Amino acid sequence: MPGLGRFAWRSLRARPLRTSLSILGIALGVAVLFAALATDAGIDAGVGRTVNDVMGRADLRVGAFEEQGLSAASLAAIRSTPGVMVADPVLEQRTYLQRDALTTATASAGAYASPITVIGVDPALDASSVGLHDLHLDSGRALSAGSTTDLLVPLRLARELGVGVGGTLTILGTNGPTAYRIVGLLSGAGPDPTAGGRGVVVSLASSAALFGSRGASWVDVGLAPAATVDSIADALAQRLTFEPFVLTDRADLATSLRASTAGFEALTALIAAVTLFGGAFLIFNTLSMTLSERVREIGLLRAAGTTRRQVHRLVLVQALILGVAGSFLGLALGFGLSVLIARNVGSLVDAGGPIDGPVVPPLGILLAALVGILVTLAAALEPAIQAGRISPIEALRPAHAGRHSVVSQLRWLGAVVVTVGVAGLALWPIALGPFGLGGAGNGAAGIARPILVYGILLVVTLLTPLILGPLGRIASLPFALFLPAEARLSRGSLARDRKRTALTVGALTIGLAMIVALGGLAGTAHAATDAWLTDVIPGDLVATSIRPIAAGEGVAQQLAAVAGVARVSPIARFSVAFRGVRVDAAAVVGSDLAADGRLTFVAGDRRAALAALDVGGSTIVPQAVAQDFGLQVGDTLQLPIGGGEAIEERIVGIVARGLPGQSGESVLLGWSDATSHFGVLGADAFAIRFVPGQAGAAEPAVASAARGLALEPTPLAGVASAINDAFGRLFSLFDALAILAVVIAGLGIVNTLTMNVYERVREIGILRSAGMTRRQVWRMVVVEAGTMGVVGAFLGCLAGVILGFALGGIAGLASPAGGPTIPWLTIGLAAVFGIGIAMLAAFQPARMASRIAIVRAVQFE
Amino acid sequence: MLMAQPILEARDLTKRYALGGSSVDALRGVSLTVQPGEFVALMGSSGSGKSTLLHLMGGLDRPTSGDVILGGETISDLDDDAATRLRRDQTGFVFQFFNLIPLLDAAENVGLPFTIAGQDPRRGEAAERVRDVFELVDLGGKEHHRPDQLSAGEQQRVAIARALVNRPAIVLADEPTGNLDFTTGGEILEALWRSCAERGQTIVLVTHDAKAAAYADRVEVIQDGLIRDEIVLGRRDDHSAAPLIARLAQLGL
Repeated sequence: MPGLGRFAWRSLRARPLRTSLSILGIALGVAVLFAALATDAGIDAGVGRTVNDVMGRADLRVGAFEEQGLSAASLAAIRSTPGVMVADPVLEQRTYLQRDALTTATASAGAYASPITVIGVDPALDASSVGLHDLHLDSGRALSAGSTTDLLVPLRLARELGVGVGGTLTILGTNGPTAYRIVGLLSGAGPDPTAGGRGVVVSLASSAALFGSRGASWVDVGLAPAATVDSIADALAQRLTFEPFVLTDRADLATSLRASTAGFEALTALIAAVTLFGGAFLIFNTLSMTLSERVREIGLLRAAGTTRRQVHRLVLVQALILGVAGSFLGLALGFGLSVLIARNVGSLVDAGGPIDGPVVPPLGILLAALVGILVTLAAALEPAIQAGRISPIEALRPAHAGRHSVVSQLRWLGAVVVTVGVAGLALWPIALGPFGLGGAGNGAAGIARPILVYGILLVVTLLTPLILGPLGRIASLPFALFLPAEARLSRGSLARDRKRTALTVGALTIGLAMIVALGGLAGTAHAATDAWLTDVIPGDLVATSIRPIAAGEGVAQQLAAVAGVARVSPIARFSVAFRGVRVDAAAVVGSDLAADGRLTFVAGDRRAALAALDVGGSTIVPQAVAQDFGLQVGDTLQLPIGGGEAIEERIVGIVARGLPGQSGESVLLGWSDATSHFGVLGADAFAIRFVPGQAGAAEPAVASAARGLALEPTPLAGVASAINDAFGRLFSLFDALAILAVVIAGLGIVNTLTMNVYERVREIGILRSAGMTRRQVWRMVVVEAGTMGVVGAFLGCLAGVILGFALGGIAGLASPAGGPTIPWLTIGLAAVFGIGIAMLAAFQPARMASRIAIVRAVQFE
Repeated sequence: MLMAQPILEARDLTKRYALGGSSVDALRGVSLTVQPGEFVALMGSSGSGKSTLLHLMGGLDRPTSGDVILGGETISDLDDDAATRLRRDQTGFVFQFFNLIPLLDAAENVGLPFTIAGQDPRRGEAAERVRDVFELVDLGGKEHHRPDQLSAGEQQRVAIARALVNRPAIVLADEPTGNLDFTTGGEILEALWRSCAERGQTIVLVTHDAKAAAYADRVEVIQDGLIRDEIVLGRRDDHSAAPLIARLAQLGL
């Protein structure tokens, strides 16, 4: 074997370009896989860190439902519950920085608001031995126990605002602005990931004063050593009867955080798998090509006594060398890629989930390298078997005919694709499971995606050799218009080895399919966001308040009096408990929604339902909530209202989309029920609709009036563009990864064209002797690549649209029209990119072809 | 034979190949003229320089020194594009191995010079010429056969048809029977001779086989990169190799 190993190595070394391209192909595949694993491990570490940041050392969190927060009586009841060692209250309130506190840069960016979340903690308790919250300081000092002006600001926010320790920030409270002095900077994005990096920390007493003596938003509970979460939860359920509450433990929080990053992890892993799929194609092609040009050599080896098994090993050793080299290079590239991904994800607020940086998982290194090597070996199996079948007599023939029937080619093509596909599917749960690297990989939906993707790609790849002939003819038509001779000759060349062409085109197809599918998903997500906002908000602009504004204050009337305003509709967001779970709720005016034509009803009578809402005793439920709880029109919701009592709300309608809440869509209740039963004191937002055609003039006037009323105006278009911007950055990351897959396909095209040229040396000599110029030869090879590019682009775009539809369906995305969006722009760009990469890949092989010396070529055997 | 303006003229051609650190002189000053309608054979042993001379005369390669004049134009001075166009319009090549494009059928292979020139060989005068040469090489009915569906001799006849289809000033054939059995080789030589005798096609044939050279009007014997002798056989319907073999024997070859 050492002799054969050396032979294998020398054979690879003799073809440095092809060997390098193959190593690079597998390296890029492994790089994307490793980057995905390292990023996911980073997210996992981020989740762990976030749970600690959010809950500190607390075992349980008792959350308030009502705006007034948890009462002093509730806090006392928690503290007196046996088994509770410490109860640490926190007050959290969303508000705004006073505009003069903003830097010029921030203000000039056109931001209507600089929202922040004020987090009030008990510094004395936290500093004690039983304290539950650790705040990680980057610089400065902690809050003083008695100070009412100390403020801690996350480092990232401080940088954005251009402030530091010793600086001041003025925060809008219910009783007006209060100036705070920054005494310390918190590391990274700060303690509360749900605040999107904009959570500032003050003392509990200070925050209570700022927001009008509110109770705690939640109380974190530390348990005595013998107590269990379940026993304390039961005890609290018995004792806390003053107002509704919700309990959260650490596991619940980690699960919900992981769920928010699940889609991201699944998609990165999916792209990694697909990229590796492309790398496998490249390896298969490389080994097949090396084999086809070494038929005589292998025949000689067989004649000299080399056994079939030794020939198998020879090819597999070559694959092993490629796989090992590619995998190690891939690990190095992957680490660099994961750092870039972490930066990109870290810049996304609320979209990518928490991540501090990539974490190098030791098992992930092993897994990525192993996958790279195994996929390489799997791709080498068919060439190895073919090599073993070469008989000694082949050495005596002048040239290897190498003609197989289409059926036999298909069989082998199918075998290799299935082998790689099955390996990918088998490794998918391993990649996501044991290391806890991806929540989305677990469960039917997680595994459905790779099965679906591999399935669609398998069908497309298997169909390629069958339709290559007619498709190639059609694809070459645009080239034939300008370069008929080159197009005719290159078209035939594509059909020379359909298996090779199919694999080359297949690699391009899957890369482009991913780009188009991602484009489709992004488009559908954009459309869904826009549709959601316009479907549920009865206004062009939303003015939000940091305090509840009661109807009697006349704020709505003052806003409605501004010229150009057609309607002002008050909205209050709060929470209700249903079946022991916190559910987002919103108080709305049914008649306003009816008049404005908002909400898409999927069940119930629109007019009657909205009228019933204003009367009371009725609720309208979003479809997602109805599905979660198995609800339908006519059902009654039992909602606790404190004091051990509950009221009944009858479902009068189910709508496609509801108002956004904290963690999902909100059930809608009338104002009368909200104020009389659920402690809602007033509106925290006003939806303002302009008179058609007067928005341009009315918007600045309304914005000015709103600010005068201590409201922060935000146009709907601004909200949509902020969300779409986040989507755009996330999808551009995925696109970048998918582009890598296309680059690998480009390397495959270089390989295939080089081989095609090599096999046609004599043919090219004949063409040159028959009067074909060097330029014509050059163009012929480029047209050949272009034709492959057109075929790959067509199949890739087609498969991508189908994939986008299917993945969108699994992700639960639906455009307003009911079907996913066809991303025409992405399709156009992907097609141009694919054809461009293909033609660019042809440059070197075409140059090589055009430089072939005629005399040597016609004597070439 | 009338002595008209030569169709092809080689003047003092030399060709030196670099070989590792040294060099090899394949031609050492060869001069030769070919008259229109003439059938000339270049004969010599392996490595004598006969194929090199053919390649230089056809513009496939450039001489180290000397000139090649085809149809009054010095092709050894032309750049690659101009030489290629001249090759396409003025010359036809037949090689030893069956130099057909395997993906094209027989008719497409024959029509290749038209295709390369941007013409459709299935239409107009081009189609007419393709049909004509198919008849000349006696391959009627096999137009749509692919190379692997043709015998070795048929493949070489397709190659001859392709060389003739453009009605070139000269056809250059490099050992066209070297890979064929005696009978098939005879058919190929007959086809070449017919084109010369019936249509006035000028042909230069490279061979090491006296039986093949016997079809020529004149045989140039090449040895060590120089023309050693010229044997004039004249136009004969009888292609007996006996006079040539006798003359070669006299020369001690």
